[in-house]
Amino acid sequence: MNAETSDAPPTSLVDRTVVPGDTVLDLTAMANQTIKLGAGLRQDCDTISVMKAGKLRLSKPNKYWVESSHKRYVPCVQDTVLGIVVDCKPDNFLVDIKAPTLAFLPVLAFEGGTRRNIPKFETGTLLYVRVVKANNSMNPELSCMDETGKAAEFGQLKDGYMFETSTGLSRMLLGSPTCPVLEALGKKLSYEIAVGLNGRVWVNASSASTVILTSMRGSLSAHISQLRPDVSLSAARMACNPNKTWWLLVMNHPNLLLL
Amino acid sequence: MGAMTVDRADGRSANQLRPLACSRNILHRAHGSARWSQGDTIVLAAVYGPKAGTKKGENPEKASIEVIWKPKTGQIGKLEKEYEMILKRTLQSVCLMTIHPNTTTSIIVQVFGDDGALLPCAINASCAALVDAGIPLKHLAVAICCGLTEGGSVILDPTRAEEQKIQAFAYLVFPNSPLSVLPSAPSAEDDAPIENGIITSVTHGVMPVVEYFNCLERGRAACAKISEFHRRSLESQVPVVARKQTFEVLWWPHTLTAWPEFHGFACNLSEADVLTVACCCMDMPRT
Repeated sequence: MNAETSDAPPTSLVDRTVVPGDTVLDLTAMANQTIKLGAGLRQDCDTISVMKAGKLRLSKPNKYWVESSHKRYVPCVQDTVLGIVVDCKPDNFLVDIKAPTLAFLPVLAFEGGTRRNIPKFETGTLLYVRVVKANNSMNPELSCMDETGKAAEFGQLKDGYMFETSTGLSRMLLGSPTCPVLEALGKKLSYEIAVGLNGRVWVNASSASTVILTSMRGSLSAHISQLRPDVSLSAARMACNPNKTWWLLVMNHPNLLLL
Repeated sequence: MGAMTVDRADGRSANQLRPLACSRNILHRAHGSARWSQGDTIVLAAVYGPKAGTKKGENPEKASIEVIWKPKTGQIGKLEKEYEMILKRTLQSVCLMTIHPNTTTSIIVQVFGDDGALLPCAINASCAALVDAGIPLKHLAVAICCGLTEGGSVILDPTRAEEQKIQAFAYLVFPNSPLSVLPSAPSAEDDAPIENGIITSVTHGVMPVVEYFNCLERGRAACAKISEFHRRSLESQVPVVARKQTFEVLWWPHTLTAWPEFHGFACNLSEADVLTVACCCMDMPRT
């Protein structure tokens, strides 16, 4: 079969786009090394192969994962996510975190939580929580405490506005150094933002117009920023100018974005 | 094989495909979506899920796949039910079903235009949609339709008009050609590379064995090109709805113009590679 140009196998696929089926690592060549696999990779006998399309990343020395952006979230321990309470059971709150199954939030997983002071959350409450157990045969488990048992910033998010984006964008907003879009906005406006790795973003500010601007800016950057970072920055500046609000409204209209 | 001199209504050569186009993430609410077109055959596939729970009768220890076929007009009939079944079986062998047990993934296939080779187009579309949704996959599935004309020559990717005239056709689905860091030399000797395996083969009509293997070989060569196209379309990650990502490739396989002498059963198709062979009405007289 000489249909494809068969050149020598690439030495490393790191930072290249990989598609399902690609073999990225040969374990026979690295006998006594420990490697850590992240999202989108699996071990197949003596090789590591890809199961999701995206960019292969390597964090030195030994962490490999495939970076991609999706509308669904696959729970992973230590991720901070935004969840919506769906149901309240005596022992657990059932929380939707955009994962395949609902997540459990034990009623005692709060700072100083006892049977006597169970928090009361209504259906539809937005929570900022941490994933503590993620296992594909069980529902994920959440907690409203950090590792030391402190409430930290976890818990209910009151007021504000929540919008949904892709997991890729929320990762970009959380990236360090601080996302330039958020920084540029922060110079002009004061707002609170909570980004969940599951692609939910919550924004709050003192005035409603600021909330609207910030959140529209966020969802707009989903469409622009990955294309041209410079464009998204200038759009952020425009968002701060009240006279240009109409322009943003036009830009954010999904049908017009297709143009 | 003097199969190079086939007159086709649209001026293509026997081994030439129609222009391919693929755009992903075009539906806002679906978790993954893709529009795949081969000429005037256009299919839109949407993926929802994985959602919690499996249907009755499915194995809850594995993920389950549900395919819903929406024809361009009218209601679904026997043929569409068959397409649903073949699509489901094909996707089942491509997906890693153990990653999200007890979940269901729905694939909705909407036909926009049918100008021949509809099922292969739908398979390509659903595979692109699964990738877009981030469903764990073993590899991609690449599908092609090969037809055997009355004159006994093999044509690839027939249009609807051609499909009505041909005596037999085969829908073939192959794994994509993967990138690999493994040294390729040792594996090529004892076992054939993965892209030589076959996932699905659906034949219809009467076709001599020799021609079937001829179809396999040409189909595989064409699928290598389609899988290259697939990879290129995935590489340019133009996000969401900002701009429709469309690629047009009109290709003329140079490698096929000088077709080697056909060597009977020496086709490198090992039995282990045959993952699922859904042979409907496989009627091959011994030659």
